[in-house]
Amino acid sequence: MSQQTDTPQGGGAPEATPQTMQLGAARGGFLSQLRVTLARRTEGRGLALLTVVVIAAAILEPVVFTSYQVTLGRVALIGLVALGLTAVILMGELDLSVASTLAVSGVVMASIPDIWLGVLAALATGLIIGAINAFFVVVVGINSFIATLGMLFALRGLAFVLSDEEPVRLSNIDAGIAFGTPLLGPLTPRVLLFIAAFIALQIFLSRVKAGREFYAVGGNRQAAMDAGIPVRRRIFTGFMISGFVAALAGVINTLERTAADPTAGSTVLLASFAAAIIGGVLLNGGRGSVLGTLIGALALGILQVSLTLSGVQVDIQDIFIGVILLLAVITDPANLRAALAGVRSSFRSREKAQTPV
Amino acid sequence: MATKESLTEAIAVAGSPASGGIEKKKFSPLLWIAENGVIVFTIALILFAVIFVNGFASLPNITDVFYRAAPIGIVAVGMTFVVISANYLDLSVVAQVATAAVIMIGISNEYGLLAGFAVATLVAMLYGIVNGVAVGFFKANAVIVTLSTTFIGLGVLRWLSGGSIFFGPEDGPIRAFGQASLGPVPASALLLIVITVILWFVLNRTTFGFAVRAYGSNKEATRLAGVNTTLVVIGAFVITALAAMIGGFALAAFSNTAVSSMSDGYEFRALAAIIIGGTSVFGGKGSVLRTLLGVIFVSVLTNILVLSGIGFGFQQMAIGALIVVAVSVDALARRAAKK
Amino acid sequence: MRNTRITTSVVGLMAAAGLVLSGCATGDAETPDAGGSGEETFEVYALLPQGTDQPYGTTYLPPFEETAEELGLNLTITNSQYDADAQASECEVAVAAAPDLIILWPAVGDTVRPCLAAASAAGIPVTVTNSDVNPEDKDLTEAYSGPDTYGQGVSSAEIMCDLADGEEIGILVVNGLTGNSTAINRNAGFVDTVEANCPNVTILAEQPGNWNKDDSQIAVSEMLTAVGPENVDGIYAADDTMVAGAIDALKARDIDPEPLYITSIGNTFLGNPLVVSGELDGTVFQSSSWDGENAARLAHAVLTGADYEENLFMPSVKVTAENADDPSVAPEW
Repeated sequence: MSQQTDTPQGGGAPEATPQTMQLGAARGGFLSQLRVTLARRTEGRGLALLTVVVIAAAILEPVVFTSYQVTLGRVALIGLVALGLTAVILMGELDLSVASTLAVSGVVMASIPDIWLGVLAALATGLIIGAINAFFVVVVGINSFIATLGMLFALRGLAFVLSDEEPVRLSNIDAGIAFGTPLLGPLTPRVLLFIAAFIALQIFLSRVKAGREFYAVGGNRQAAMDAGIPVRRRIFTGFMISGFVAALAGVINTLERTAADPTAGSTVLLASFAAAIIGGVLLNGGRGSVLGTLIGALALGILQVSLTLSGVQVDIQDIFIGVILLLAVITDPANLRAALAGVRSSFRSREKAQTPV
Repeated sequence: MATKESLTEAIAVAGSPASGGIEKKKFSPLLWIAENGVIVFTIALILFAVIFVNGFASLPNITDVFYRAAPIGIVAVGMTFVVISANYLDLSVVAQVATAAVIMIGISNEYGLLAGFAVATLVAMLYGIVNGVAVGFFKANAVIVTLSTTFIGLGVLRWLSGGSIFFGPEDGPIRAFGQASLGPVPASALLLIVITVILWFVLNRTTFGFAVRAYGSNKEATRLAGVNTTLVVIGAFVITALAAMIGGFALAAFSNTAVSSMSDGYEFRALAAIIIGGTSVFGGKGSVLRTLLGVIFVSVLTNILVLSGIGFGFQQMAIGALIVVAVSVDALARRAAKK
Repeated sequence: MRNTRITTSVVGLMAAAGLVLSGCATGDAETPDAGGSGEETFEVYALLPQGTDQPYGTTYLPPFEETAEELGLNLTITNSQYDADAQASECEVAVAAAPDLIILWPAVGDTVRPCLAAASAAGIPVTVTNSDVNPEDKDLTEAYSGPDTYGQGVSSAEIMCDLADGEEIGILVVNGLTGNSTAINRNAGFVDTVEANCPNVTILAEQPGNWNKDDSQIAVSEMLTAVGPENVDGIYAADDTMVAGAIDALKARDIDPEPLYITSIGNTFLGNPLVVSGELDGTVFQSSSWDGENAARLAHAVLTGADYEENLFMPSVKVTAENADDPSVAPEW
């Protein structure tokens, strides 16, 4: 995706600034470009939405905050897969197979009688699926959108085949129920694992060299290669993170529900994308942060919980989320700039067209 | 407005094979397979089925394959425009098909077929324009834009239709269309062929079609050639929406019913057919005829699997594997040919 | 010039659409607040997996809401769209809101035990509607009202067995959406009963019809090709919508459906006329209004300590040509 020449800033006079900036960056070396990328904070709109949602919820449905552990549980449900997805999107790739990965790993886990062996097998499944995705993208050289689209179908089919098209109950149901109860204060293992995953990914992507290089891979792949970054290995890492996190979500869901559902995750893919995008992660890569995704997931989660508490039907909730998503993507600064440039250039061309007459 | 010549140049600048004769032509068998794999695969699959699958070559079964192919095929040939314009896909076809079907049956029952068509067309235009403006004018990513319009569209449809099943009258014109056929070829399949021919003409023989392909190959060059790229993108989304509307009509006519969940999975199934046909998801390269072949391939494959009594899980696995294999063969053959 | 005008009108249109949307949304959001006028009111959460997005839910909700209002139940209704994880999360929300009672319609029966355990720990009684929980989870619920989905499959199979009357016959089976609880239970009820009561009935082929008429029509036509139409003596489909597709598939091949043994479940607006016309030999009545109304009545009985049946099954009335015109089995959805 990032190989495309789709620069939202476009050409023309008013857009000279970003171009010169890029030129300067190229001259100053790749590191300074990295600094420029990192300097652009991207969480603004997500934060604004979160503020509005929090204030509205505080006034209309204070239960959202008095029972904050429930709200956090919802956020963790939406957000966990989105965190892993962020690693892939930052590199300008996509992973459409996350929901199917979640279902397959859950079924794998529930099919194994020993619970710990099951968890390990499920997580390994996620890593293997990530590696297969990366293999097709990096080694075979096909677009990640298509490779993971194929995996979306194939893995869903596999989940049905392995489970014999029925939910698979855990052999140790009590362990599952114990897993769903609060561990630390009011926090359930799901929320704690979500926080752990967030911290780990935040540190990896902002403090570890390999993680910081994800931004370069997504921003300008050729420049990243020229700078000696092992792009292929980074892409492998990214997909394996995404697969692992999706499998972790599958494990958590299976434990909490005490059964693995081969149809699981029907709402996961779209909600994860929504969380990442609202949080300011650019789908073309190179821009965004795990913090942004967290903010997006918080905003979506609180919104959903408060709408549910006010008894708003799911179809109306979907309309709300759709409108917010559309506004979020249209009000992206780069997109607004593009729109303004479009208006300006059409004015200019009209002036030009009028002068000869 | 730009001339065809300047656009051809724009395509040439991008070095896209879409314009044919401009690249140096040297026959390479590997490249030929990469380009025409879907034809070979489709013929091989049909031959295999004729010989080994009991009942495949019977007339009623050929009709069934056509029934499988028609609605999804109409949607897919339309969506080919969005894919060729390098905008990945239009996720919202899933909402568009169901909306069109419900409007077509629901409104036709009350106010007649013409009113149904008129409202469905208006709604399709609205979808196309909203998606097109957000993507073409605001330069927003098509996946996210159409994801949000899917949320909004399905939400509105379910909320207004109440999720009810709408039935057409047994003697109505929609039912008549659904049951009409020319020999073993149902009317909906003829409609698919007509729409493919029209869209082939639009994509390959009009300035707009040139512009869509040029834009998919190289956005900047196309813009510099003087094309109003915003209108090109809006046009691609409007064509997709109109085709999805007609696909919804074909689907509703087949069963004489409409319900908001009837097109679940259409967005990815249509994309699968387009990709298996060999249209590049990077844009610029592809054709509606390839999409038609892709649709036939998937329909024949599903038909064979059902005839052989294979369960739903394995059907899904086969289609998923096929997408990956089809695209891998293309990528590998292309790379081998370059060496 | 023209471009700008088009752009302006488009922007205007979008803004108007946005206004309409937000207006409607707020309008709808307020309605559930209009509480009941009974002497005693209760806060009740209803966790459903469908609502106005499915034909059944659409006709289930009005009698449910009306009866609840009449009895003084203040309902908050959720719809998880058959996503077990979404329903579990809604269950957490419900438990946190500490209502007087929770009405649960499980999205996936195997996954609701933690929800029941949480409600029970918080001292919130749970009644179950439409699809019952697993037997081992029954002790965590107060009562169940609704159809016996397994029993519906049994009833449909009994009609089939009666029709076959000891004859060796082959039939096609069309199932619901793959992985869906109702689809699994109805299929199990049908298959178990056929095996036990009439082993002379052989299932030649089965495919999912996804509760859709068009999917069922193609699947049945293809199964006819696969096993040979001359070998097929009957068809069972897991609901009336799909059986209508199956009958259309027969007609499209110029096969008269009347001599064939055809059964299904539902007795809907689509299915009932087919029974009257004789094309469908028998179906099993599922009354969405009975289901919705009794969900509210049972919840009220549990709350007020009145007498109630622990398992209030919707009568699985068999609808055949003899009683299809009867007003007591008039279709509802």
